[in-house]
Amino acid sequence: MDNSARHAYVLNVMAEDRPGIVALVSREVVYAGGNIESCSQTVLSGYFTLIMVVCFPEPLAMEDFIVKLTGASESEHGLQIMIRPQRRTPEPIDLKDAENFVVSCFGPDTAGVICRFSALLADKGINIVDLYGQLRGDQFVLISQVQIPRRWDLAMLQADIEQLGRELGFTVRLQHENIFIATNQLRLTRTVNPIHATDQK
Amino acid sequence: MLRTDEILSTMQMLHAEHLDVRTVTLGLNLDDCAGPDVDLICRKIRQKISRYAQGLVPACDRLAGRYGVPITNKRLAISSAAVLLAGHGTQAAVEIAHALDVAAGEAGVDLVGGFTAFCEKGMTSADATLIDSLPMVLSKTQRVCASVNVASRRAGINMDAVGRMGRSLLEIAAATASNHGFGCAKLLVYSNIPQDNPFMAGASLGAGEAEAVINVGVSGPGVVCSGLRRRIETGDKLTLGDLAEEIKITAFRVTRVGELIGREVAQELKVPFGIVDLSLAPTPAIGDSVGEILRILGIDNIGAPGSTAAVALLTDAVKKGGAFASSSVGGLSGAFIPVSEDSVLADAAARGHLVLEKLEAMTSVCSVGLDMIAVPGDTPAETLAAIIADEMAIGVVNNKTTGVRLIPVPGGKVGDIVEFGGLFGSAPIMEIRNSGASSRFVNFGGRIPAPIQSLNN
Repeated sequence: MDNSARHAYVLNVMAEDRPGIVALVSREVVYAGGNIESCSQTVLSGYFTLIMVVCFPEPLAMEDFIVKLTGASESEHGLQIMIRPQRRTPEPIDLKDAENFVVSCFGPDTAGVICRFSALLADKGINIVDLYGQLRGDQFVLISQVQIPRRWDLAMLQADIEQLGRELGFTVRLQHENIFIATNQLRLTRTVNPIHATDQK
Repeated sequence: MLRTDEILSTMQMLHAEHLDVRTVTLGLNLDDCAGPDVDLICRKIRQKISRYAQGLVPACDRLAGRYGVPITNKRLAISSAAVLLAGHGTQAAVEIAHALDVAAGEAGVDLVGGFTAFCEKGMTSADATLIDSLPMVLSKTQRVCASVNVASRRAGINMDAVGRMGRSLLEIAAATASNHGFGCAKLLVYSNIPQDNPFMAGASLGAGEAEAVINVGVSGPGVVCSGLRRRIETGDKLTLGDLAEEIKITAFRVTRVGELIGREVAQELKVPFGIVDLSLAPTPAIGDSVGEILRILGIDNIGAPGSTAAVALLTDAVKKGGAFASSSVGGLSGAFIPVSEDSVLADAAARGHLVLEKLEAMTSVCSVGLDMIAVPGDTPAETLAAIIADEMAIGVVNNKTTGVRLIPVPGGKVGDIVEFGGLFGSAPIMEIRNSGASSRFVNFGGRIPAPIQSLNN
């Protein structure tokens, strides 16, 4: 698609999961003359959610599009739609400035666990790029993939996160993503150079 | 982006199945410490080890924290100490060993290997000095480990050296009698010694290696056990080929961990990365057992018929998985069956299921050999030598490394349980049948010629 005529929108769809939702949404995008540039979907506890960036050659009448997408009756498809113009394409965080880590937390389910951990991460400018949480029996498993700015001392950060874990009765670990890449994927691990702040001793 | 199931599966390996990096071993050449003045040699040794090794333990600790992977042992493997002994006597050997012991302690490592002599074809006076000093060295030092290569594919078996090692084992056991002959646990008698083995007691830095190099030994019997159990619990109809595939995949994952850690330690220490040794190294911890793997593979009593085939399957699958995971595979790379260090093997030996002869057969298809086997203290030197000779023959003829680590326990009788402690574990004293019946063979001495390299049946 010609970038000079790029009118990009972020489209978010949520529904009870069933076959055909992606077909339905993408068909309406094509009818409206749009092109899907990127998309991601997931299903959690029987609920489907889809986020996509869609480009149109002309500005889109968003209300009309939502009406078309949900059909004459919203209840028929059971789709909840949100759409908004995309302001800009954010630059991904440069991995010269940050490194990818995995934070994993296991412990007794209590309200406010994600809130406490995410607040600690947010406080340090650590971006969560992927989050998974699931109740298994009375144990809650929380796994987040995060980008940690290189300015942080890893050992200190681990101590902070583990301390919070102890307060909540959780076992918490902060590990560099390379160990997960090495044990699961055929790609090479990213060489860590220059080394992390904590390693510069 | 990583998938959640990938993360969970790695967490399972690391934290429930005790995956660790068994050893990061810094190989260090000490040839430039040689000279006529023993005090100067000792000073140089301590200076050089300090210069290269002071960062080893901190680097390992940092990387262990970064990746959440325990690095169980940090060790040193020096170039053959026999080079330093040329022109010196046993007293110098003891002083040099003491310097190594102190330097290793200062570097925070628990063992230093490389008190090593190469005498597969003949013996120099320095080699003889080294062997003569072993009872003193292994009883008076805490961390020094020794090895003697008495056979090779090219040279055959030096039976004079083999006979001497039989006598030496009894002398070392006597010198460490208060500790059940534990000195012998720090000595490996080799055929086809590898240049780059990171595992103790047989680690040393051979000829052709760099000034300093990082070699890594991975672990993982526990991880292999769990992987196999999970696969069997699926209820699928499985063949041994399927189980070999499961072991292969696990070995791949384990080896990639070793490679990752080894390369980064090497980078931090600014020395080359050498090899990953793929050996499955058991520990006395419950579940961390090669014997347990054999049980899962269907051998109810370790030592029963089928044990050798099962070990062969295991060793081959480990090599195949590891070889794809790393382009720098070396060392021993197989499956270890050290009796005292593997609780299931020790138990099988205590129950009489596993006998010396069956162990010997199993070593023909796995690394490293007759390892950590306690035998009666009154075994004649010639019989110990003959056991060594048998194991050397397996290595020489099959073109592989084999080793012998026998512990003749002073005062010990067949069936007594001997406790060595820590990673060395405990083991029953095993029976040697026909003890004393091969003295004439050993006493001929000389050299068993190198085997023919064609007509391979």
